[in-house]
Amino acid sequence: MSRIPNVLCRKNRILLGELIKTDFKLRYQGSVLGYLWAILRPLLMFAILYIVFAKLLQMGGDIPHYPVYLMTGTVLWNFFTECTGQGIQAIVNRGDLLRKISFPKYIVVVSATATALINLAINLCVIVVFALINGVTPSWSWLLVLPLILELYAFALGISFLLGAINVKYRDITSIWDVLIQALFYAVPIIYPISMVLERGAFGQIAANIILINPIAQVIQDVRYNLITDATITTWGLVEWPLCLMPLLIVFLTLVLAALFFRRRSKRFAEEV
Amino acid sequence: MSKKSKPVENSPKTCAKPVGKTVIKVENLCKSFRLPTERAAGLKQAIFNWLKGVKGYTEHEVLKGVSFEVHQGEFIGIVGRNGSGKSTLLKLLAQIYYPESGSITVDGTLVPFIELGVGFNPELTGRENVYLNGALLGFSHREMDAMYDEIVRFAELEPFMDAKLKNYSSGMQVRLAFSIAIRARGDILILDEVLAVGDAEFQQKCNDYFASLHGEQTVILVTHSMENVRRFCDRAILIEDGKVMTEGDPEEVAKAYEGLWQ
Repeated sequence: MSRIPNVLCRKNRILLGELIKTDFKLRYQGSVLGYLWAILRPLLMFAILYIVFAKLLQMGGDIPHYPVYLMTGTVLWNFFTECTGQGIQAIVNRGDLLRKISFPKYIVVVSATATALINLAINLCVIVVFALINGVTPSWSWLLVLPLILELYAFALGISFLLGAINVKYRDITSIWDVLIQALFYAVPIIYPISMVLERGAFGQIAANIILINPIAQVIQDVRYNLITDATITTWGLVEWPLCLMPLLIVFLTLVLAALFFRRRSKRFAEEV
Repeated sequence: MSKKSKPVENSPKTCAKPVGKTVIKVENLCKSFRLPTERAAGLKQAIFNWLKGVKGYTEHEVLKGVSFEVHQGEFIGIVGRNGSGKSTLLKLLAQIYYPESGSITVDGTLVPFIELGVGFNPELTGRENVYLNGALLGFSHREMDAMYDEIVRFAELEPFMDAKLKNYSSGMQVRLAFSIAIRARGDILILDEVLAVGDAEFQQKCNDYFASLHGEQTVILVTHSMENVRRFCDRAILIEDGKVMTEGDPEEVAKAYEGLWQ
């Protein structure tokens, strides 16, 4: 067992490709509109949030292009929830496979989260169209969105590895994560702007700092900053050095520790699942 | 499939002692499972058990030091009564389970056929399932293209390949799964209890196929049919209570197996 496994050897690539294809094919099977739902769902979600928060509660304030700003937040958030939701369930859902054939278990988790990645790509195209219609001027900084998404994906993957591995034995994780992600939604500035928190004096200042240390919030704010408007308050702008490196550190540690934990636990998945 | 006509000099199998190189070496293999004593499936119970100092499981030893070797081109039969550890042994060979101690060395690619419909998805068509299954065994789309026609022909399912698998009868599913397993060109084929499935005609076809494999393909077969052991195997192993009880000539092993109940 001292041999270092070749993570992306030919055999693993073939299997990963075939599993992703299968997942994507099956996702919208039996629905009339099919793949169109990949675009329709976030659009409808956006419509609800837009009507409630932008029109009824007037939360946008003086942020330019607020609808696109809001939509960017919801799309990235949906990506994160979909990614972790599928990733945590991946090992349990593919239990029949694990019990019958030997292959590197991480492939199952990666393939389950890949569908979310494909959906995100589709949604980003929609956002770009929306942004252009809304009068946002295209710029080279748009390219910075890609490494930011990679960061968010790494974080989601880390959480999937860690909780997915525990979920094999303790299915309570599914319920715990459901509640946790609901709480997390309010801890991330998606529907409210950070400036609203900052208005609350000294307490607001501390709260805003804590909110922006969360990697999800950091990524969402950075994407908004690079894609839509530099009026966005980002981690780099608000949180002091070196504390502002926390989000990156959290992502890195989560992924590395989760991957190590997953690899150790994966030897018993076939027996326990 | 046209039956392969075998050259006559290969058929008397008892006199041809295997001299091929060792492809599987199993040394002093041990495996135990943790069986939960009371319901320890939840977090709550796990915490209670931990507080009370109860382990929450008992170790159940399934394999207690099994050693044997398989040589290239050999047809090995593994027999034993229910719960003796045969299936666990196969899953260890296929690297689905990890051993507690002991070692398994495998030289070559394994094609396991341990449970029916490895990775079959009921929502996919027969064709898509063949390619998915191939990927699980490590074959690319193009490699499967080359094997596809032969697989379908052997399974006799040509008209049904574009139907979803959930609309297949169980016999059809078995035929497809089995055809993939034997047509996928692996070095070592591992089969569990498959001869008991399919109708008489398909069984006959499989039996003919096994007979044609003799001396060419390394096969490990777990079965309860002593008739098959006598007919196909070069060597057989009787597992009893997690240990190798008898090993060697198929006739002797078959007799020992039948003697278990006397």
